Amino acid sequence: MRDQTPSSRNTAPNVLVALLFLLAPMQAAEKPVSFAKDIQPILENSCLKCHGAAIQLSKFDLRTRESAMKGGEKGPAIVPGKPEESKLYRLVAGLEKPAMPMDGKLTPAQVAAFKQWITDGAKWEGSVVAESKDAASQLAALEELKITDEMRKYWAFQKPARPSVPANGERNPVDAFLLKALTERGLKPSPQADRRTLVRRAYLDLTGLPPTPAEVLEFVNDKSLRSWENLIDRLLASPSYGERWGRHWLDVARYADSNGYEHDFNRPNAWRYRDYVIRSFNKDTPYNVFLQEQIAGDEMDWVTEDSLIATGFLRSYAKVGFREADNPQYRFEYLDDMIATVGRGVIGLTVQCARCHNHKFDPIAQKDYYKMQAALYGYVEVDHPLTSPEEAAAYSNAVEEVEAKLRPLKADVKEIEQQYRAILLPEKYKKFPANILEAINTPEEKRTPGQVLLANQIIRTVNVTPAEIERIMKPEDLVRKKRINAEIAAIEKMRPAPIPVAMGVTDGDFRFTPDGPGDEPAPGKGIKRQTGGSFLFKGPGRYEPQPNYFLYRGDLESRGSKMQPGFVTVATYGNPPVELPPSHGRTSGRRRALAEWLGSPENPLTARVFVNRIWHHHFGRGIVSTLDNFGKMGELPTHPELLDWLATEFMNRGWSVKQIHRLLMTSNAYKQSSQTAAGENLAKDPDNKYLWRFRIQRLEAEIVRDAVLAVSGGLNRTMGGPAVFPKIQSEVLASMKLGIWEVEQDGPKVWRRSVYVYRKRGLPFPMFEVFDLPDQNVSCGRRNVSTVPTQALTLLNNEFVLRQAKLFADRVVEAAGTDRAKQIDLAYELALARGPNAEERALAESFLSKQPLADFTHVLVNLNEFLYMR
Amino acid sequence: MINFKSRRDFLFEAGGGISGVALAWLMSQQGLLGAATAGTGCDARPMPDSANTPKKPHFRPRATSVISLFMSGGVSHMETFDPKPALEKYAGRPLEGKGEVVVRQGHPGPLMPSVFKFKNYGQSGLPVSEIFPKIASHIDDIAVLRSVYGKSNDHVQAHYELASGVIRMGYPSLGSWVTYGLGSENQSLPAFVVIYDARGGPFGGPANWSAGFMPAAYQGTVFRASDNPIVDLKPPAGTTPEQQRARLDLLGKLNEMDLKKYPGSSELAARISSYELAYRMQGCAPEAVDVNSESPATKKLYGLDEEATQPFGRQCLMARRLVERGVRFVQLYHGGLGMQNVDTWDAHENVKTNHTRNAAATDGPISGLLTDLKARGLLDTTLVIWQGEFGRMPISQRGLGRDHNPGAMSIWMAGAKIKGGQAIGASDEFGYKAEQQPIPIHDLHATILNLLGMDHTRLTYLFNGRNMRLTDVYGELIPQLTA
Repeated sequence: MRDQTPSSRNTAPNVLVALLFLLAPMQAAEKPVSFAKDIQPILENSCLKCHGAAIQLSKFDLRTRESAMKGGEKGPAIVPGKPEESKLYRLVAGLEKPAMPMDGKLTPAQVAAFKQWITDGAKWEGSVVAESKDAASQLAALEELKITDEMRKYWAFQKPARPSVPANGERNPVDAFLLKALTERGLKPSPQADRRTLVRRAYLDLTGLPPTPAEVLEFVNDKSLRSWENLIDRLLASPSYGERWGRHWLDVARYADSNGYEHDFNRPNAWRYRDYVIRSFNKDTPYNVFLQEQIAGDEMDWVTEDSLIATGFLRSYAKVGFREADNPQYRFEYLDDMIATVGRGVIGLTVQCARCHNHKFDPIAQKDYYKMQAALYGYVEVDHPLTSPEEAAAYSNAVEEVEAKLRPLKADVKEIEQQYRAILLPEKYKKFPANILEAINTPEEKRTPGQVLLANQIIRTVNVTPAEIERIMKPEDLVRKKRINAEIAAIEKMRPAPIPVAMGVTDGDFRFTPDGPGDEPAPGKGIKRQTGGSFLFKGPGRYEPQPNYFLYRGDLESRGSKMQPGFVTVATYGNPPVELPPSHGRTSGRRRALAEWLGSPENPLTARVFVNRIWHHHFGRGIVSTLDNFGKMGELPTHPELLDWLATEFMNRGWSVKQIHRLLMTSNAYKQSSQTAAGENLAKDPDNKYLWRFRIQRLEAEIVRDAVLAVSGGLNRTMGGPAVFPKIQSEVLASMKLGIWEVEQDGPKVWRRSVYVYRKRGLPFPMFEVFDLPDQNVSCGRRNVSTVPTQALTLLNNEFVLRQAKLFADRVVEAAGTDRAKQIDLAYELALARGPNAEERALAESFLSKQPLADFTHVLVNLNEFLYMR
Repeated sequence: MINFKSRRDFLFEAGGGISGVALAWLMSQQGLLGAATAGTGCDARPMPDSANTPKKPHFRPRATSVISLFMSGGVSHMETFDPKPALEKYAGRPLEGKGEVVVRQGHPGPLMPSVFKFKNYGQSGLPVSEIFPKIASHIDDIAVLRSVYGKSNDHVQAHYELASGVIRMGYPSLGSWVTYGLGSENQSLPAFVVIYDARGGPFGGPANWSAGFMPAAYQGTVFRASDNPIVDLKPPAGTTPEQQRARLDLLGKLNEMDLKKYPGSSELAARISSYELAYRMQGCAPEAVDVNSESPATKKLYGLDEEATQPFGRQCLMARRLVERGVRFVQLYHGGLGMQNVDTWDAHENVKTNHTRNAAATDGPISGLLTDLKARGLLDTTLVIWQGEFGRMPISQRGLGRDHNPGAMSIWMAGAKIKGGQAIGASDEFGYKAEQQPIPIHDLHATILNLLGMDHTRLTYLFNGRNMRLTDVYGELIPQLTA
């Protein structure tokens, strides 16, 4: 969606103008209109910059009478003598939209002059209108947005300064900043939560799994001074940490395992990127390096398997199936998606809003958009082999060897079949209606134009299948064909096993993309085949990307200047390089330069945006609550100094994500209780913007499922690998039949962590969907939290939940035996990391006197307390 | 969104404590099961803390609910509501003078006349094709829009555009916007219900009723034509109602105790009441779609007595029952992914056989729906929209079929006190492009919201710092419908 304020299209004044000029002819008649004096200056000042030498938007050129009379793609513009029927007049008078000129209105007198001039016959004195400016400067005027110092003053475009930490006795700087803000507002922090609450909070927060009773006790009984710090270190070192925090990033990366759209093709290698993200969080890859790998992992000097896999980030857009070469316009949508994802996800700016015009709210020039597009423009989709280059070469040689052996054999088969094809085709044509047959049977040169079309529709698309041919083959030919086919099959066995590949991007020329699964020609399409280039750069010299152009109003047909790569001007300091060509020369180095700029300490946004994401996931609300928008339409930071301090601290600590976790979680703010009686705090800050208590947070969709699996003991902790397909009811599967959902038995094989559940764009996993799974097609930082009865229905009635409740009960019986009190204790410990109080125990006892234990454990996983981190 | 205080007040007034309310309700539920009429527990109930709480429209609405009939696959306007005599005249000639002819499949064919005859109907004398004789009998209540056009000739993107105004995935659907804007009149049923063809979902699947960037509360809930209409509505076999009641009772008590630790938490309180709602839905949803309780005459009216019309008739009858019970937006799909060229309106192979069969399956049910709504006085407050995702080509595909054409399509509306018997806009002489008063989808959406009492420029949802609209920055009202 493009940003445009509705007010910019305010029509009322235009209507008024139009009404006023019902009177105009009378006045105008007194004073004849002169083209040279009255019309030509308006054309030059207001019209020709878009409909003149520089560019002819809507293919409309107002320089000469001839071209003006011809009109543009929207039809004729001038009907001499009839202004009311002339599009030109209707547009400048605001009678039709879009009102012209685009960047302002004509005065009533000017509109009147147009009307009179057309009434008088739209006479043109002289053949060409002299243009007031040359084409280049006209273009520049259209494309440039001057970034002023005033624009740069906006807080988010200023580099974060290192503020001094308030001296108020707090040891952790985070607390010092928070306390300052609380004190200023007369708010008081809450006391620390009890240790059982804390341990559950830390486990859910860092690993997404509730602690086991043993893990609870380990912490509760740890009397050392550093028990909390040690717990956090333990959890950060747990592989489950990456599964939890990697998932947050996968939301930003709009990761999915399928293409989306009509066919929703499977992406068999997408999971490698998902695993890479999990691995990177576990390894604590510095965030700036993490960005470099994802944007330019193929361009680095130190290309690794992981850095190639990482480029799957750019490729995670939803994609219309079928060959891109046949639909070059789609590519601009994918580029737009990348720009949107990098913009919102990394620098918190809605850069994509500047596709058709300068950004309406932020000083982001339309040109910035196309500069960023230039940085990405050379990309092609590629499956990077994950082997040594030698192995990869050996593989493609072996494949080619097989193909070479097959080629003559396949040609032989074709030849044998040819005579039968000639017999069968006319037979096949017979099923078509009379008009088609007539067209086909008419000699080519005698066909009417309509018959040519009819005949082509059939002749070009109807084919016979080998099976049909076999049915009528002479025995000797059939024997021969079968013999050759046997040879083919034997050779096929020599085809080497596929090598592992990563779904990523590199630079190349997309027009020569080889057809592959999910990228084959659409039925009846793919006739045009480009020649004269290669998909990946093969030398000599250096790779040069295809040029991209400034596009007026985002219209592919309205090209402006050729673009050089670049960045968002208002957020750029100094003169960072826009190309960093790698030594191998196979890519342009533009993405590498983009990644460098993003991950540079000179970038005012990247560190702020990311520490704010971390903050949001710990505390339930970002310091800037609009995680993906730090622009003017976003929210202002509640604690601007703290945000800057954290951003600089993040960079000073080598962009280490784990160190920021440690810093935030060891604050008193994090350890506060979430339960505070209604009082002054609540009255003064009902939304808890200033963090006077810990904010309770509903578990995310995946974590609800993971937590259920964890307490039931059913969780399969296997990490990584291809996605799993937990059961979806067949009625639900019927709503989206294309693409894949490999129905698997409910059981330990699919009881993996939810991050490994197949992400199908066309069919969100139902249990996740009801718990606010974000749309899987666009980058998302902050998920919605809604409370709807379908969530209750899922937890009450879903077969999976009930089965896990039963396993939960079995587990309790196995460990606690038949002693009811022990059962209740253990069930509480497992689900809530605490034992029951007297009242709860009494209720449980009374319930269990009539109902089975599995009903009780089922109730526990439905409790508010179970579904919240608090 | 959620008002904690009023909820608490309500609970106290109702006798104190959640379990009290739950119990009282459960008791009423006992008497209610099987009751065919609303008014005893499945109707509007004050539940002020729900996302579906009724909200005031911007101005006086013409209709309060919507039934959207989606003919998935793409209906040919030239075979239904937009006769094109010029096609007879130019039959067999190439389509020329209209710019490049873009087809979705294969190669363009020559112009092909309508395979069906048209007749004029009603006082208005509007022409309707012979395949819709029953719908035609309502023509004086129907406004036909003949100049609607879309952006994509791909099924899925075109579905998304009709659904959300955007050809991409990820944007809230019309039903979500309407529910967001108006809430629901019935707190025991979802506000936005989707019933798709029993043969399978429409092109593009659940993204058609997604809430996009809005909370899940506004997404469409799929209903099936069975006594278990919602997935996970009822516990699997083996769980007795008493067992479930006992669980809910314990759950309510424990949650209520827990709530005391979080005074003022509307979020936790809302979750408690969501269980009451869910439980109530278990009784109310099956009742709402129980078409068996209808009279034989009504069943016949919807074509439930005939094999061809029974499936869609059931969908239409369910829609009436839902609207009658205050459901805000009912989205029906006819045409399900299976055998695409047969089971949907996607008439690439043979427009005559395809449209004959699909019209036969829907003509009676839709006519029955209109008749029934009118008889019950519901037509004035219900907007009925009939649409496909695009029109079809005036040129033939392999002699008998027609390819996709987003350049022109016919959509009709009825109910909502709109003026029937009128044709709005016009496609060109062949039906290739919208020509007079071209109506983009944004205009259609703006008009629908207007009929429901909402100004499309004021119905906004703040997302990522921007006030998003169903109509983006576009949308003009269709004056013949709103003036």
